[in-house]
Amino acid sequence: MIPYQSFLLDNGLRVFVHEDPTTPMAAVNVIYNVGSRDENPEKTGFAHLFEHLMFGGSAHIPDYDTPLQRVGGENNAFTSADITNYYITLPATNLETAFWLESDRMMSLSFDPEVLEVQRSVVIEEFKQRYLNQPYGDVWLKLRPLAYTTHPYQWATIGKEISHIEEATLDDVRDFFFRYYLPNNAVLVVAGNVTTEQVKQLCRKWFEPIAPGAAYNRHLPKEPVQTEARFLKTGAKVPLHALYKAYHMGGRYEQAFYEADLMADILGRGKSSRLYRKLVKENPVFNSINAYPTASLEPGLFVIQGNLNRGVSLEEGEAAVQSVIDELLATGPLESEVQKVKNQAEATLAFAEVELLNRAMNLAFAANGADAGWVNGEAERIQSVTADGIAAATASILRPANCSTLHYEAQA
Amino acid sequence: MMSLDRTKAPDFQLTDRISLVQAAPYRLDNGVPLYLIRAGEQPVVRVEWVFETGGWDELLPNVSWFTLRLLNEGTRQRKAAELAEFFDQYGAFLEFQPTADRSTVTLYALRKHLPVLLPAVHEFLNDAIFPEEELETQRTIALQNLEVNEGKTSFLAGRAFREQLFGADHPYGKSQTRENLRGFGREDLVSYFNTRIAGNPFRLFVAGLVDETEVSLLNRYFGQSALSPAPDRRSYADPHLGDLQSILLRVEDKMQSSIRIGKRMVNRLHPDYYPVLVTNEILGGYFGSRLMKNIREDKGYTYGIYSQINHFSHASQLFIGTDVNKEVTRQTLDEIRKEILRLQTEPVPAEELQTAKNYMTGQFVGSLNTPFEIADRHKVRILNQLPDDYSLRFIERIQAVTAEQVLDAAQAWFQWETLVEVVAGDK
Repeated sequence: MIPYQSFLLDNGLRVFVHEDPTTPMAAVNVIYNVGSRDENPEKTGFAHLFEHLMFGGSAHIPDYDTPLQRVGGENNAFTSADITNYYITLPATNLETAFWLESDRMMSLSFDPEVLEVQRSVVIEEFKQRYLNQPYGDVWLKLRPLAYTTHPYQWATIGKEISHIEEATLDDVRDFFFRYYLPNNAVLVVAGNVTTEQVKQLCRKWFEPIAPGAAYNRHLPKEPVQTEARFLKTGAKVPLHALYKAYHMGGRYEQAFYEADLMADILGRGKSSRLYRKLVKENPVFNSINAYPTASLEPGLFVIQGNLNRGVSLEEGEAAVQSVIDELLATGPLESEVQKVKNQAEATLAFAEVELLNRAMNLAFAANGADAGWVNGEAERIQSVTADGIAAATASILRPANCSTLHYEAQA
Repeated sequence: MMSLDRTKAPDFQLTDRISLVQAAPYRLDNGVPLYLIRAGEQPVVRVEWVFETGGWDELLPNVSWFTLRLLNEGTRQRKAAELAEFFDQYGAFLEFQPTADRSTVTLYALRKHLPVLLPAVHEFLNDAIFPEEELETQRTIALQNLEVNEGKTSFLAGRAFREQLFGADHPYGKSQTRENLRGFGREDLVSYFNTRIAGNPFRLFVAGLVDETEVSLLNRYFGQSALSPAPDRRSYADPHLGDLQSILLRVEDKMQSSIRIGKRMVNRLHPDYYPVLVTNEILGGYFGSRLMKNIREDKGYTYGIYSQINHFSHASQLFIGTDVNKEVTRQTLDEIRKEILRLQTEPVPAEELQTAKNYMTGQFVGSLNTPFEIADRHKVRILNQLPDDYSLRFIERIQAVTAEQVLDAAQAWFQWETLVEVVAGDK
């Protein structure tokens, strides 16, 4: 349970406060409702590059990080296909520093050309470090365009290719900022040793003077229903073959998500899951295997992925996965399995609420993706899932015609 | 209404003291020490069983690691699949952390399930049987994972760095290899288990929304059988550092080089410890550090560079690491060297020093937020026999470090000639 209060500023910024007097800290989380799905297909990777630029100085403050470090705070950010999220934790006594910094960069950036040049290089190194210099690092660069033919989820948040990042201009930066980085396109969550009254006052002082902009109405191309199985074979110098199967499913804030999520747990969570028990232990075909939903806001993917044991072909591996799916389709989940994954989800939820910053983020995600109250209905939604519901989800999602399969071959 | 001056930072204040939930000490009937950390609002509990044994005591490489990992892969009473099913059924999760110095089994669970879970932990801590086929499954997985890791420059550089610093045969320097992963059998695990785990003394750390109910529960399952005194730990000569040379592991087809630089460092009780810690922070300990500002934020050579001090029971190390564009490997090494030299020759400006100390203060306060973090603080202190006021006085000791002490520490402990340098990639 994450108790909270909320209010709306005149400029459209939605604010949520979660008071927790047991900690000496405060967490401040700002979500901007923009992600890589909102990018121009010819300029991908930009939302994430832009996130880096948000640390390069704002209208009145040349350096974002140092003043925060001086008051004992720290911060970071991440970009996904759906959102860009910025967060700070600091001693609650210095909460106002966070308001000063966050409000100034919401008002305007400094648009310093040198900052763009340096962060461009940093992001290119990040691209290499995470996606090109790692075994299997480029899997999602290949799997996304296979699974999505039309929707912008077809490119990875880091971007389709390095050249897009190389070509970004300062005009692109300005346009992006004034289109998306608006108080009326953001959610602010303040949590920890704070009071709602204090947060209201600070909001009026620091955020309310920021002018709103034209509302952003998202019109993204819809992904057409997939009607036949897709397949791609690729490879690299890696030691083990890897298999990826991605099926279309619904978005994160739909009841059907919970059925798919628990189905993923039945298939792939922990050593008692079906895939692990049957394909790692009983009939050792896989070195590791996993199932999970991507949990995106718009219709996402249900992914089964595994690295095969040496000497096992990708075809054999795929057939073995299919036999586990077929068995689940034929008999549905056992009641005891459903109870097990519900218990696991219940524990996960309780542990996720231990950390203050997690509570702040989950509140912000819900407020941005659905409504804030959703965050406190998670436990109930999990418990309301039935074996029949999971069986129906399995039948509707795990169909060959709904699947994109990637064979990632180990090459000598 | 006065207009708001957005160029001016708000006033701030930093605490110099922390309030820390105590670790309440208990003893089970058989003498096992238990520390209870009662904190948090969620109905969760974490129980840790800490044994003073690890890679340090094994006769062959990997034996302690596999022993820990296979504890719940079969007991006299239950097969591996039944054990997995049992813990998963209650949404509990287990962690097995074998290190060179000690071995920890951790149970995370909802508090309400603890009474049914504890007997099963007792079962595998005493009656594990290490089935041959489970060992072979895990051995195959480990061998294949090793191959995947050997495709990463970061892994190759880290392994060479450890070997260079401590020697490939020392517990702190040895690594998994394809040879040593094949070089032990089931009987080695059984023997290690019987000698070092089953019936041996351990310590318990219990954290979460807990009270004496948990103490009695643990006493019931873990306090009744007498424990034999732990056998002596193996002894090692202090590893002799060979000639310091820079190592280049040339890896083809990679776009980046992984750089690892460091040396043996002072421990937490050394008189220079706090100045060294602050010096490290300024050099590469946080996002505002000199290495990060120079090599990432000024030159754009890397996504990240960091410097840290790590501690083992019998040694500590300085560790500087980064993955950089292969073309600028040499320039990066030059810049790291320049930054260290600058710390040794110019006093750190007052504001920069204060920022680093304040950041460390905030970090420390912020690292005491959850019951598990609080327990971890106590654990470090108790397991390493640090003074009682170690945590309570941490902030004051950091804040007391002067620019002169940083200069001295940089000169005494960060000499470039004393550092090990490993590059995997090219330069």
